[in-house]
Amino acid sequence: MAIAIKVEGLTKYFSPSTTALDDVNFIVKEGEIFGILGPNGAGKTTLLKILATLILPTKGEAWLAGYHIIKEAEKVKLCLGFHSGEERSLYWRLSGRENLSFFATLYNLTSQRSRIRIKEILELLELKEPDKKVYLYSTGMRQRLSLARALIPDPPILLLDEPTKSLDPKSAYELRKFLKEELVKKRGKSILWVTHNLREAEEVCDRLAIMEKGKIKTTGSVEELEKCLL
Amino acid sequence: MLALIKIFAYIRKEFLIQRSYKFAFFFNFFSVFTSLLTFFFINRLFGSRISSHLEPFGRDYFSYTILAQAFFTYVGTGLGGIAGRLRGEAMTGTLESLLVTPTKMRTLLLSMGLWNFGFASVDLFLYLFFGVFFFKIDISQINLLATFIIFFFTIIAFSSLGLISGSFILVLKRGNPVNWLVSTLSGLLGGVYFPVTVLPKWLQAISAWIPVTYAIKGLELAVYQGASLASLSSDVIKLALFAIILLPLGIYSFGYALRRAKIEGSLVRY
Repeated sequence: MAIAIKVEGLTKYFSPSTTALDDVNFIVKEGEIFGILGPNGAGKTTLLKILATLILPTKGEAWLAGYHIIKEAEKVKLCLGFHSGEERSLYWRLSGRENLSFFATLYNLTSQRSRIRIKEILELLELKEPDKKVYLYSTGMRQRLSLARALIPDPPILLLDEPTKSLDPKSAYELRKFLKEELVKKRGKSILWVTHNLREAEEVCDRLAIMEKGKIKTTGSVEELEKCLL
Repeated sequence: MLALIKIFAYIRKEFLIQRSYKFAFFFNFFSVFTSLLTFFFINRLFGSRISSHLEPFGRDYFSYTILAQAFFTYVGTGLGGIAGRLRGEAMTGTLESLLVTPTKMRTLLLSMGLWNFGFASVDLFLYLFFGVFFFKIDISQINLLATFIIFFFTIIAFSSLGLISGSFILVLKRGNPVNWLVSTLSGLLGGVYFPVTVLPKWLQAISAWIPVTYAIKGLELAVYQGASLASLSSDVIKLALFAIILLPLGIYSFGYALRRAKIEGSLVRY
């Protein structure tokens, strides 16, 4: 199986006394969901933002779809969908459809392709009332809209930061099912899934890395980690 | 072509957001009108006589200052606009969403700049419209080519200063020394409220280092006296020099600031 994400010795210091990441190494294979599990402040979001080219690492290297995250940042951006988990990453004064249409253009989609893709995604994610302003959406709807935006360019790799945060249990379950069944199994996407929810990680991820204080403590399949922990 | 489509999409997005704040447009309309009225009444206080400082322009104080202010408001957009927009995108949390798309930074900056100037054009139009039709300012002698060239170089110079100003916003988040320094100095020493000849000689020497000094002097002469490009060549060359020096400086400083913000992981902080 080909490699979707490769991370080698990734290290990030925000100051000499603040180590966010310490020699992080892992690979994510194509068509798998790889989970990063850890408590708040473990460095999970920093890791994701480095892979999304938003933060520069202090040391180490990483590749997405074979492209180097620093030397080939523009190509990396063409291959990834990034869901930051932040509610405020959308334009609240625009409607859901207007948000998606704007970002579709920034992701190089033609207007015709954009219309088709938006329709597909709205149906896939069951985003009703796409013409309502985002400030009128519920928190869960905004989460789904943010995920819809990440899916707009139909990228082979998805970086998801707590995608089920703020969703009710039923919606969270449906979203997990959708990502696993529809995107990974049917469409062969690779997902790096950041969470602090052990149950969610067990349910969704093919393999997992447990992260604490910027370090990967252990990596393996859910079964392997369960054996190791028990 | 792709960059143009993205620029258009950004401008459309900003237009839709602006349109959703319905009161803002009317507020803008009234603020331009009240500003014009204020200077109209100040002018009445002194009568319509032309002081020796205004003689080269052949107009009264009202005509002089309204043109200078309309122009300064317009080009000033280049100065604070990009920094303001970057801060706005950071505050709404959308800056990271923009930067993670395969869109070049220069395309985003150009989009922000063009939207700002487009929006400022409404103010410029309102100033001219009220000035000409309500307050009977005479611009019949305008030399359009000279006016256009002066606008062009001033926009480049101020947008470059705007990039430097945006660099400070990326790094410092708040407190923008470039914006404050240029706005204050331009207002005080650049001829926005009165011709620079009113100033003592030592202050006039400082005003010679401010691009807007040449821009306003040249513009007043081009609009009210129909001065040709040849007769304004000294001012235009100085403006062009400002533009040529400041543009690469602005691009470099912004690139540096963006890299520093990415190292510090501070793009979303504000």
